[in-house]
Amino acid sequence: MANVIHAENLSLSYDEGKKKIIQNAKFSVKRGEFVFITGRSGSGKSTLLKSFYGNLQPTDGSLMVGGLEMKAIPRKKLQELRTHIGIIFQDYKLINEWNVAKNVVLPLMIAGFSLDVQKTQAQRLLKHVKLSEHANRFPLELSGGEQQRVGVARALAKTPLIILADEPTGNLDDYSSGVIWDLLENACSQLETTVLVVTHKIPTVFSLPYRHFTIEDGGVYEIH
Amino acid sequence: MKYIKEHLMFILPMMAILLGIDFYLVFDRMTSNYEAALRDGYSMLAITKKEMNTQEFKKLNAEISESSRIDKSEIIKQISSNQSKKDVEDILKALPYFYTLKLEKYVDMDSIEKIKKSLLKSTDIKRVETFGDSYYSKYRLFSFIKFTLKVFIFFMVLVSLFLVIKQMEIWGYKHRQRIQVMEIFGAPLMLRSGVLFRVALSDAFIATLLIVIFFSYLRFIWAGSSGVNIMIEQKEMLFQLKDIAILLASSVFIVIISVFSVVLGIKENEE
Repeated sequence: MANVIHAENLSLSYDEGKKKIIQNAKFSVKRGEFVFITGRSGSGKSTLLKSFYGNLQPTDGSLMVGGLEMKAIPRKKLQELRTHIGIIFQDYKLINEWNVAKNVVLPLMIAGFSLDVQKTQAQRLLKHVKLSEHANRFPLELSGGEQQRVGVARALAKTPLIILADEPTGNLDDYSSGVIWDLLENACSQLETTVLVVTHKIPTVFSLPYRHFTIEDGGVYEIH
Repeated sequence: MKYIKEHLMFILPMMAILLGIDFYLVFDRMTSNYEAALRDGYSMLAITKKEMNTQEFKKLNAEISESSRIDKSEIIKQISSNQSKKDVEDILKALPYFYTLKLEKYVDMDSIEKIKKSLLKSTDIKRVETFGDSYYSKYRLFSFIKFTLKVFIFFMVLVSLFLVIKQMEIWGYKHRQRIQVMEIFGAPLMLRSGVLFRVALSDAFIATLLIVIFFSYLRFIWAGSSGVNIMIEQKEMLFQLKDIAILLASSVFIVIISVFSVVLGIKENEE
């Protein structure tokens, strides 16, 4: 199967190369794979994830995402790529002035789908994450777990090629965390979406086969 | 209350900018008329050895718009009354030719001197009188008034522009989270700026409408009853239909510049 992400001698850094985070990383991720990325706090897990959606560009080496070289990627191409990536954040990053339904269909809105399609999809997605009754409520009226489910629904809205999740259960209790893991497992197995999750701890109950990368001293290593 | 204050903080400086722009337009129209009157009232005197026509003067300097010969008999009228007809004819023969020269446009003293020099290069022209002193004093006064008003309008527009951008920054800060999230999900610039455009454009239209009402009032109601002759005679200078288009285009332009400057200034990593 084709590589969705391919890194070759990838280096990432902040402050114009002064603060090196990832050095000479080499790895590939194929379509439909589920990958956990772990490591100590400050090891560069989130930095690596950011590079996958072009929030940070490689300082050295090569990083291909969805067939596009991320180093010096043109703005227009990056925008296009991002419409095929669903991103889930630890702090949810929902738009607080929009109701839940509107938040969920943001990727469809960006892609220019009609209001009718957006409405239908919002109902389907909210049913999928079991939040149908909250469609007209605002994010700040929901619990953390519910907000994260909205975040997952938003990430799934356009059936993305890749889902990137940065500590998606970091702020949630065990029950809510379990719901989020189920949703991500389903996305991976049913939609053949590649899922990369940055986490401190791999869930104990997880039914899908997965790969495990860990980051240590700037290197990215796979644990078999 | 907060909502009204927020919008007034945008509408008022935008009105000041548009007021500045329309005052500039009015002033420009008024001064163009005055300049034309000054230009029409001004002429140089050229004394030539032979008869010359406008084309010949134009060849020497393109700034000259027309020439007219001064009748020599008019010049010697006072001294010819006691002279015999032959003497008068001899005087007329001995006299050079006199021409008044008008200019294409209203120019400064340096240009007048240049015109004089270019005319004197011709061996057919004996002398050129520019009547510089009277022209120069009028020109200086007029230029000073024009300059001060333009400087005043410029600074008024500049300060107001800063206030508009400041208010846009406040709105940008208010909508920062939304703009960042939209950018992360690949929204193009126009979609990210949409909300700011909606707010700013509606306020810009309100500001334009208020200025149009103000200047229409000046032209159609105030000017007629002001008792000021120049206002009564030239009230159409106070407001013209094309001003609406200029004001609208200016306000839309200001909105586009300020919205883009704010949205492009928001980085997706900023908290």
